Amino acid sequence: MNAETSSLVPSFVVFQVGPRRVALPRDCVAEMIASPLLFSFPHTTPVIAGVALRRGRIVPVVDLGPGLLGTPSPTARFFLVVERRISNISERCAIPVQGECELVAGILLPAAEHDEFVTGCLDLNGEQIDVLDLEKTIAAGARIQEESMAAAEVGS
Amino acid sequence: MTQLVSSSLTTRDARPREQVAVFSIAQFSFVISAASVQEIRSTDGLGGTVVDLDRPVLRKVRHIVERDARAYYVVSGCEHFHLPPSRPTTVLILRSAPVAVLVDKIEEMAEMRVLSALPQSFRGEERTWYRGLTVLDHKVLPVANPLGFLTAEELRRLEEQNPGLLQTSTGLRKERGRA
Repeated sequence: MNAETSSLVPSFVVFQVGPRRVALPRDCVAEMIASPLLFSFPHTTPVIAGVALRRGRIVPVVDLGPGLLGTPSPTARFFLVVERRISNISERCAIPVQGECELVAGILLPAAEHDEFVTGCLDLNGEQIDVLDLEKTIAAGARIQEESMAAAEVGS
Repeated sequence: MTQLVSSSLTTRDARPREQVAVFSIAQFSFVISAASVQEIRSTDGLGGTVVDLDRPVLRKVRHIVERDARAYYVVSGCEHFHLPPSRPTTVLILRSAPVAVLVDKIEEMAEMRVLSALPQSFRGEERTWYRGLTVLDHKVLPVANPLGFLTAEELRRLEEQNPGLLQTSTGLRKERGRA
Protein backbone atom coordinates (compact mmCIF):
# COMPACT_ATOMS: atom_id res chain seq x y z
CA MET A 1 0.00 0.00 0.00
CA ASN A 2 1.31 3.49 -0.64
CA ALA A 3 0.26 6.85 0.79
CA GLU A 4 -1.67 7.90 -2.30
CA THR A 5 -3.90 4.84 -2.42
CA SER A 6 -5.56 5.34 0.92
CA SER A 7 -6.22 8.57 2.74
CA LEU A 8 -7.83 6.64 5.60
CA VAL A 9 -4.73 4.70 6.50
CA PRO A 10 -2.19 6.80 8.44
CA SER A 11 1.01 7.62 6.60
CA PHE A 12 4.57 7.71 7.87
CA VAL A 13 7.96 8.88 6.69
CA VAL A 14 10.52 6.08 6.90
CA PHE A 15 14.13 7.20 7.18
CA GLN A 16 17.50 5.95 8.29
CA VAL A 17 19.71 7.10 11.18
CA GLY A 18 23.00 5.24 10.97
CA PRO A 19 22.11 1.61 10.36
CA ARG A 20 18.64 1.89 11.91
CA ARG A 21 15.48 2.37 9.81
CA VAL A 22 12.75 4.16 11.73
CA ALA A 23 9.62 6.17 10.98
CA LEU A 24 7.79 9.28 12.10
CA PRO A 25 4.13 10.10 11.53
CA ARG A 26 3.77 12.02 8.26
CA ASP A 27 2.28 15.08 9.96
CA CYS A 28 5.51 15.59 11.98
CA VAL A 29 7.57 15.98 8.82
CA ALA A 30 7.63 19.21 6.83
CA GLU A 31 10.19 18.47 4.12
CA MET A 32 13.46 16.81 3.24
CA ILE A 33 16.41 18.96 2.25
CA ALA A 34 19.94 18.46 1.01
CA SER A 35 22.56 18.88 3.70
CA PRO A 36 22.67 22.60 4.54
CA LEU A 37 25.66 24.54 5.84
CA LEU A 38 25.84 23.88 9.57
CA PHE A 39 26.73 26.69 11.97
CA SER A 40 27.87 25.85 15.46
CA PHE A 41 28.43 27.96 18.55
CA PRO A 42 28.91 27.15 22.23
CA HIS A 43 25.88 25.78 24.02
CA THR A 44 25.08 23.13 26.61
CA THR A 45 21.96 21.47 25.16
CA PRO A 46 22.61 17.81 24.35
CA VAL A 47 21.81 16.39 20.87
CA ILE A 48 21.87 19.81 19.16
CA ALA A 49 24.55 19.73 16.50
CA GLY A 50 24.19 23.40 15.51
CA VAL A 51 21.84 25.47 13.41
CA ALA A 52 21.15 25.81 9.70
CA LEU A 53 19.69 28.62 7.62
CA ARG A 54 16.60 27.50 5.74
CA ARG A 55 14.65 30.04 3.67
CA GLY A 56 15.92 32.85 5.85
CA ARG A 57 14.98 31.06 9.06
CA ILE A 58 17.36 29.68 11.64
CA VAL A 59 16.62 26.01 12.22
CA PRO A 60 18.24 23.98 15.02
CA VAL A 61 19.79 20.69 13.92
CA VAL A 62 18.86 17.84 16.26
CA ASP A 63 20.75 14.55 16.11
CA LEU A 64 18.64 11.45 16.84
CA GLY A 65 21.80 9.30 16.83
CA PRO A 66 22.42 9.40 20.61
CA GLY A 67 18.87 8.24 21.34
CA LEU A 68 18.65 5.61 18.62
CA LEU A 69 22.24 4.39 18.37
CA GLY A 70 23.89 5.56 21.56
CA THR A 71 26.36 7.60 19.50
CA PRO A 72 26.17 10.67 17.23
CA SER A 73 24.84 9.74 13.79
CA PRO A 74 27.28 9.62 10.86
CA THR A 75 27.69 12.48 8.37
CA ALA A 76 24.43 13.12 6.57
CA ARG A 77 23.67 14.17 3.00
CA PHE A 78 20.04 14.88 3.75
CA PHE A 79 18.08 16.42 6.58
CA LEU A 80 14.44 15.90 7.47
CA VAL A 81 12.77 19.10 8.60
CA VAL A 82 10.33 18.19 11.36
CA GLU A 83 7.88 20.06 13.52
CA ARG A 84 8.48 19.98 17.27
CA ARG A 85 6.12 21.12 20.01
CA ILE A 86 8.09 22.66 22.85
CA SER A 87 6.13 24.23 25.69
CA ASN A 88 3.14 24.57 23.33
CA ILE A 89 5.28 26.40 20.79
CA SER A 90 5.78 24.87 17.38
CA GLU A 91 9.36 24.87 16.12
CA ARG A 92 10.96 23.43 13.01
CA CYS A 93 14.13 21.39 13.45
CA ALA A 94 16.35 19.54 11.02
CA ILE A 95 17.30 15.90 11.61
CA PRO A 96 20.35 14.49 9.81
CA VAL A 97 19.39 11.24 8.02
CA GLN A 98 21.34 8.72 6.02
CA GLY A 99 20.08 7.00 2.90
CA GLU A 100 16.65 7.35 1.38
CA CYS A 101 13.40 8.52 2.91
CA GLU A 102 10.14 6.88 1.98
CA LEU A 103 6.51 7.93 2.41
CA VAL A 104 4.42 4.89 3.30
CA ALA A 105 0.92 4.18 4.55
CA GLY A 106 0.30 1.46 7.07
CA ILE A 107 -1.33 0.34 10.25
CA LEU A 108 0.54 1.06 13.45
CA LEU A 109 1.11 -2.23 15.24
CA PRO A 110 2.15 -2.69 18.87
CA ALA A 111 5.89 -2.27 19.27
CA ALA A 112 8.04 -5.36 19.62
CA GLU A 113 10.90 -3.28 21.09
CA HIS A 114 10.79 -1.92 24.59
CA ASP A 115 12.48 1.44 23.90
CA GLU A 116 10.35 4.05 25.64
CA PHE A 117 10.42 6.29 22.56
CA VAL A 118 8.94 3.67 20.20
CA THR A 119 5.17 4.10 19.91
CA GLY A 120 4.56 1.16 17.62
CA CYS A 121 5.83 -0.51 14.49
CA LEU A 122 5.04 -0.84 10.82
CA ASP A 123 5.24 -4.01 8.81
CA LEU A 124 6.92 -3.03 5.54
CA ASN A 125 7.08 -6.13 3.35
CA GLY A 126 8.13 -8.19 6.33
CA GLU A 127 10.53 -5.59 7.70
CA GLN A 128 9.55 -4.23 11.12
CA ILE A 129 10.05 -0.45 11.28
CA ASP A 130 9.86 1.29 14.64
CA VAL A 131 7.68 4.39 14.73
CA LEU A 132 9.15 7.06 17.00
CA ASP A 133 7.76 9.57 19.42
CA LEU A 134 10.00 12.46 18.37
CA GLU A 135 10.12 14.24 21.73
CA LYS A 136 10.81 11.04 23.66
CA THR A 137 13.58 10.08 21.21
CA ILE A 138 15.22 13.49 21.65
CA ALA A 139 14.85 13.23 25.44
CA ALA A 140 16.41 9.74 25.45
CA GLY A 141 19.37 11.02 23.40
CA ALA A 142 19.79 13.99 25.72
CA ARG A 143 19.83 11.69 28.72
CA ILE A 144 22.45 9.41 27.15
CA GLN A 145 24.67 12.36 26.19
CA GLU A 146 24.35 13.91 29.64
CA GLU A 147 25.28 10.60 31.26
CA SER A 148 28.34 10.14 29.04
CA MET A 149 29.43 13.74 29.68
CA ALA A 150 29.05 13.24 33.44
CA ALA A 151 31.04 10.01 33.21
CA ALA A 152 33.78 11.78 31.23
CA GLU A 153 33.96 14.52 33.88
CA VAL A 154 34.28 11.95 36.65
CA GLY A 155 36.98 10.16 34.63
CA SER A 156 38.99 13.33 34.16
CA MET B 1 16.42 47.19 19.77
CA THR B 2 16.90 45.15 16.63
CA GLN B 3 13.77 43.29 15.53
CA LEU B 4 12.89 40.81 12.85
CA VAL B 5 10.92 42.66 10.21
CA SER B 6 9.98 41.40 6.74
CA SER B 7 12.17 42.80 4.00
CA SER B 8 11.23 44.27 0.68
CA LEU B 9 13.48 44.77 -2.32
CA THR B 10 11.44 47.67 -3.65
CA THR B 11 11.29 49.80 -0.54
CA ARG B 12 14.06 51.24 1.56
CA ASP B 13 15.21 48.83 4.22
CA ALA B 14 13.67 50.33 7.35
CA ARG B 15 14.64 47.57 9.74
CA PRO B 16 16.19 48.82 12.96
CA ARG B 17 19.95 48.54 12.97
CA GLU B 18 22.33 47.98 15.80
CA GLN B 19 26.07 48.56 15.81
CA VAL B 20 27.85 45.47 17.04
CA ALA B 21 31.34 44.22 17.68
CA VAL B 22 32.24 40.76 16.40
CA PHE B 23 34.73 39.03 18.68
CA SER B 24 36.24 35.58 18.77
CA ILE B 25 37.11 33.08 21.46
CA ALA B 26 38.83 29.85 20.42
CA GLN B 27 37.37 28.95 16.99
CA PHE B 28 34.01 30.65 17.59
CA SER B 29 32.76 34.11 16.70
CA PHE B 30 30.23 36.08 18.74
CA VAL B 31 28.44 39.39 18.42
CA ILE B 32 27.89 41.95 21.15
CA SER B 33 26.06 45.23 20.97
CA ALA B 34 28.54 48.10 20.71
CA ALA B 35 26.32 50.13 23.03
CA SER B 36 26.91 47.64 25.84
CA VAL B 37 30.70 47.95 25.58
CA GLN B 38 32.29 50.91 27.33
CA GLU B 39 35.84 50.24 26.29
CA ILE B 40 37.89 47.76 24.29
CA ARG B 41 41.46 47.39 25.44
CA SER B 42 44.45 45.21 24.84
CA THR B 43 45.24 42.92 27.78
CA ASP B 44 48.81 44.34 27.67
CA GLY B 45 47.46 47.72 28.74
CA LEU B 46 45.86 46.44 31.95
CA GLY B 47 49.00 45.45 33.86
CA GLY B 48 49.04 47.80 36.84
CA THR B 49 45.32 47.83 37.58
CA VAL B 50 44.54 44.12 38.02
CA VAL B 51 43.84 42.81 41.53
CA ASP B 52 43.57 39.11 42.39
CA LEU B 53 40.36 37.96 44.06
CA ASP B 54 40.88 36.71 47.62
CA ARG B 55 38.33 33.97 47.11
CA PRO B 56 37.71 33.08 43.47
CA VAL B 57 34.35 31.35 43.92
CA LEU B 58 33.81 31.10 40.18
CA ARG B 59 36.33 29.43 37.93
CA LYS B 60 35.77 32.05 35.27
CA VAL B 61 36.49 35.04 37.56
CA ARG B 62 39.90 35.31 39.24
CA HIS B 63 40.66 39.05 39.13
CA ILE B 64 39.13 42.47 39.20
CA VAL B 65 40.35 45.33 37.05
CA GLU B 66 40.08 49.06 37.77
CA ARG B 67 39.22 51.55 35.07
CA ASP B 68 38.27 55.20 35.53
CA ALA B 69 37.44 54.87 39.23
CA ARG B 70 35.29 51.80 38.64
CA ALA B 71 36.16 48.17 39.31
CA TYR B 72 35.08 45.23 37.16
CA TYR B 73 35.17 41.48 37.58
CA VAL B 74 37.35 39.96 34.86
CA VAL B 75 35.46 37.08 33.24
CA SER B 76 37.39 34.58 31.17
CA GLY B 77 35.43 34.22 27.93
CA CYS B 78 36.63 30.69 27.28
CA GLU B 79 35.71 29.53 30.80
CA HIS B 80 32.34 31.26 30.54
CA PHE B 81 31.44 29.46 27.29
CA HIS B 82 33.08 26.19 28.44
CA LEU B 83 35.67 26.36 25.67
CA PRO B 84 39.23 25.04 25.75
CA PRO B 85 41.86 27.53 26.95
CA SER B 86 42.68 30.20 24.39
CA ARG B 87 44.96 33.24 24.19
CA PRO B 88 42.99 36.33 25.15
CA THR B 89 44.56 39.51 23.81
CA THR B 90 41.60 41.83 24.27
CA VAL B 91 39.30 42.82 27.09
CA LEU B 92 35.76 44.15 26.63
CA ILE B 93 34.81 46.43 29.51
CA LEU B 94 31.04 46.43 29.72
CA ARG B 95 28.83 49.39 30.43
CA SER B 96 25.79 47.80 32.04
CA ALA B 97 27.53 45.44 34.48
CA PRO B 98 30.73 45.44 36.55
CA VAL B 99 32.23 42.99 34.08
CA ALA B 100 35.30 42.94 31.85
CA VAL B 101 35.38 40.00 29.42
CA LEU B 102 38.59 38.45 28.15
CA VAL B 103 38.30 37.53 24.46
CA ASP B 104 40.83 36.39 21.88
CA LYS B 105 40.34 39.32 19.52
CA ILE B 106 37.92 41.74 17.91
CA GLU B 107 37.24 40.64 14.36
CA GLU B 108 35.24 43.60 13.10
CA MET B 109 32.61 46.19 13.83
CA ALA B 110 29.39 45.58 11.93
CA GLU B 111 25.73 46.48 11.66
CA MET B 112 23.16 43.97 12.86
CA ARG B 113 19.74 44.13 11.19
CA VAL B 114 18.17 40.91 12.37
CA LEU B 115 17.97 39.47 15.84
CA SER B 116 16.21 36.10 16.01
CA ALA B 117 15.16 34.58 19.28
CA LEU B 118 17.20 31.57 20.32
CA PRO B 119 15.19 28.53 19.16
CA GLN B 120 13.25 26.83 21.95
CA SER B 121 15.21 23.62 21.32
CA PHE B 122 18.11 25.28 23.13
CA ARG B 123 17.42 24.87 26.81
CA GLY B 124 20.80 25.13 28.58
CA GLU B 125 23.00 27.94 29.86
CA GLU B 126 22.97 29.46 26.38
CA ARG B 127 19.56 30.91 27.19
CA THR B 128 21.38 33.17 29.65
CA TRP B 129 24.48 33.65 27.51
CA TYR B 130 22.73 34.93 24.39
CA ARG B 131 20.15 37.56 23.48
CA GLY B 132 19.49 35.57 20.32
CA LEU B 133 21.06 34.79 16.96
CA THR B 134 21.87 37.00 14.03
CA VAL B 135 23.07 36.55 10.47
CA LEU B 136 26.16 38.47 9.35
CA ASP B 137 27.84 37.78 6.01
CA HIS B 138 25.61 34.71 5.54
CA LYS B 139 26.84 33.24 8.83
CA VAL B 140 24.70 32.59 11.89
CA LEU B 141 26.31 34.08 15.00
CA PRO B 142 25.16 34.17 18.61
CA VAL B 143 24.52 37.62 20.10
CA ALA B 144 26.04 37.77 23.57
CA ASN B 145 23.87 39.01 26.42
CA PRO B 146 26.00 41.54 28.34
CA LEU B 147 24.12 40.69 31.54
CA GLY B 148 24.73 36.98 30.99
CA PHE B 149 28.48 36.99 31.65
CA LEU B 150 27.77 37.28 35.37
CA THR B 151 24.24 36.62 36.53
CA ALA B 152 22.76 38.37 39.55
CA GLU B 153 23.30 35.17 41.52
CA GLU B 154 26.97 34.94 40.46
CA LEU B 155 27.52 38.60 41.34
CA ARG B 156 25.93 37.99 44.73
CA ARG B 157 28.24 35.01 45.38
CA LEU B 158 31.32 36.98 44.36
CA GLU B 159 30.34 39.88 46.59
CA GLU B 160 29.50 37.51 49.45
CA GLN B 161 32.90 35.80 49.31
CA ASN B 162 34.87 38.98 48.59
CA PRO B 163 32.85 41.54 50.55
CA GLY B 164 33.32 45.12 49.49
CA LEU B 165 36.22 44.30 47.21
CA LEU B 166 34.80 46.14 44.20
CA GLN B 167 34.13 49.23 46.33
CA THR B 168 37.39 48.92 48.29
CA SER B 169 39.40 48.61 45.15
CA THR B 170 37.79 51.72 43.69
CA GLY B 171 38.16 53.52 47.01
CA LEU B 172 41.87 52.75 47.16
CA ARG B 173 42.29 54.12 43.68
CA LYS B 174 40.49 57.33 44.66
CA GLU B 175 42.72 57.63 47.74
CA ARG B 176 45.79 57.19 45.56
CA GLY B 177 44.43 59.84 43.20
CA ARG B 178 43.95 62.34 46.01
CA ALA B 179 47.42 61.61 47.42
